[in-house]
Amino acid sequence: MNGAAIEVEAVRTRLGGQLVHDRIDLRIGRGELVALVGGSGSGKSVLMREIIGLQRPTDGRVRLLGTDVWSASPRQLTALRRRIGVMFQDGALFSSLTVAGNVATPMIEHGGIPRHLVAPLVALRLSMAGLPASAGARRPSELSGGMRKRAAIARALALEPEVLFLDEPTAGLDPITARAFDAMLASLCRDLGITVVLITHDLDTLLSIAQRVVVLGHGRVVADGTLDAVTANDDPWIRAYFEGRRMLAAEGSPDGT
Amino acid sequence: MTTADTRCSLAREAGGSVIRLAGSWRLSSIGELDAALRALGVAPGGIAPPVALDGGSLAEIDTAAALLVWRHLAAAGVPADAVSMRGFADAHARILELVRQRLHDAEPAAAPRPRGALASLGAAAVGLVALLHGHLDFLGRVLVELGRTVRKPSRLRGKELFAQFSQVCVSAIPVVALVTFLIGLVVAYLLGLQAEQYGANIFVVDGVALGLAREFSPLIVATIVAGRSGAAFTAQLGTMKLTEEIDAIRTLGLSAEQVLVVPRVLALVMSLPLLVFVGDVMGLLGAMTIAERMLDITPSTFVSRLHDALAPRHFVIGLAKAPAFALFIAVIGCRMGMSVSRDTRSIGMNTTSTVVQGIVAVILLDALFAVLLQELEL
Repeated sequence: MNGAAIEVEAVRTRLGGQLVHDRIDLRIGRGELVALVGGSGSGKSVLMREIIGLQRPTDGRVRLLGTDVWSASPRQLTALRRRIGVMFQDGALFSSLTVAGNVATPMIEHGGIPRHLVAPLVALRLSMAGLPASAGARRPSELSGGMRKRAAIARALALEPEVLFLDEPTAGLDPITARAFDAMLASLCRDLGITVVLITHDLDTLLSIAQRVVVLGHGRVVADGTLDAVTANDDPWIRAYFEGRRMLAAEGSPDGT
Repeated sequence: MTTADTRCSLAREAGGSVIRLAGSWRLSSIGELDAALRALGVAPGGIAPPVALDGGSLAEIDTAAALLVWRHLAAAGVPADAVSMRGFADAHARILELVRQRLHDAEPAAAPRPRGALASLGAAAVGLVALLHGHLDFLGRVLVELGRTVRKPSRLRGKELFAQFSQVCVSAIPVVALVTFLIGLVVAYLLGLQAEQYGANIFVVDGVALGLAREFSPLIVATIVAGRSGAAFTAQLGTMKLTEEIDAIRTLGLSAEQVLVVPRVLALVMSLPLLVFVGDVMGLLGAMTIAERMLDITPSTFVSRLHDALAPRHFVIGLAKAPAFALFIAVIGCRMGMSVSRDTRSIGMNTTSTVVQGIVAVILLDALFAVLLQELEL
């Protein structure tokens, strides 16, 4: 479509003397649904933090929606962040606010939404994230892990972002909720044209909705392409990752002796 | 006249009404869209059923704008289910449909009613009773663990005890010394101003020594420790509770009270008398400093008067109060830490509460001691 949503060029990251990213080049177009996978410690979350402007890479350039994140003025960065939604791994809900307050925060802070629409819009976001309306009045500490996650997704969706970043969105959710969540993501991407970048280990998510899979390893992009293309890759980590799943599937099927 | 928003229009057709949506319907311009729909005069009874939505020239729509459309229709008495859609691109129709299905959920839940004054008072009273009951229960458990430790000293975590002792006692000496030195100085100065008028300079020593050893030093040192170590206990244990470390200790078959609380309580009970002693000495030094300059009492006169004026029992009473203060400060600090709930906010609230409770407990205990000792004529 019109230009890239995310461009990562030659990013190197050194954390505590350890080289996390050797050289990462990545271009994600608008409206793509991209899954970022890789072993623990391969720097997936770090890369996400570098793209959204929370952590400065040692070297290299990051452009998000056409703006260079690491040379943007604070004002530009604020304007940019209004257009993205982020869901952190553990939710990162504000513990002093109710769930509804959490979702309403971006709407109220960034203004422009008539007061009488905030409450119904919050309720719609909660419903889209699969939470009952009654959850809005509760505090994050009173919710189960899965519900916190959904509340965090509702907050990330609050301003109908152009790019949505999700760190392990389905980890810890039951399979039924996780699949409903996948369907919601696919619909957001298809119908609203939202670019979705998700870090995940959930193979079902990869199989059902990811249009493109990017595998990080040894500080580089090891594989990048459609699921079929990536599965065909002969990197040992990728093979082990998908192999295990295939064996499980074979054991589980009734005719697989 | 200002140009009307061209993004929506209402037309009457044979057998019903048609609302046409056009252009860009996004959250970023939701205020204008709201006004446009309002200007359309979609009001109860003002729109003839059946109603159709026409999206033939709609460029884009998001869920927020879709919600706006359905809500305006609902406000006009047109249920969303009775509206037919035509001419929409597939993606737009899906968005409208997605929101229509969730319209029922999107009714915000009624906010719980705030409590009245009487109900708040009642809730506060019940809360206080529950808090005190919890403290008593916790004190009991700690004493049982302490008893077990006395019977079998090898249970004691020596390393933890020394680490806590160093934190609670050794590193508190500078601040305790500074504060009590200044208090001694100020008390001697104020007493001196009065005593000078009667030529009773030497009695300043009596007053300062008695006041410091019996009341000021224990009270002030206990207050400092309540703010310093009580709060630290709550923050330390609260964080451990939050990261489930305390649960991990329990599942390993260990007693969290034995591992975490007993060393802290013992360290504080041992530390506070020592810190009070430091306070006594520094307070008297402060008084001595000012006495020489203001009242012409030389240090040697000061010390010899001290021998006559300060009966050892006053000094001992001051020191004897310290362990009781320490026990309460430590138990409150640990209990508030262990009862942190699962969110980060409650660590802050409990820490604040620990300091307040610790200081109140110290002053209440001190009053109790004063009455008790009066009755015993000590």
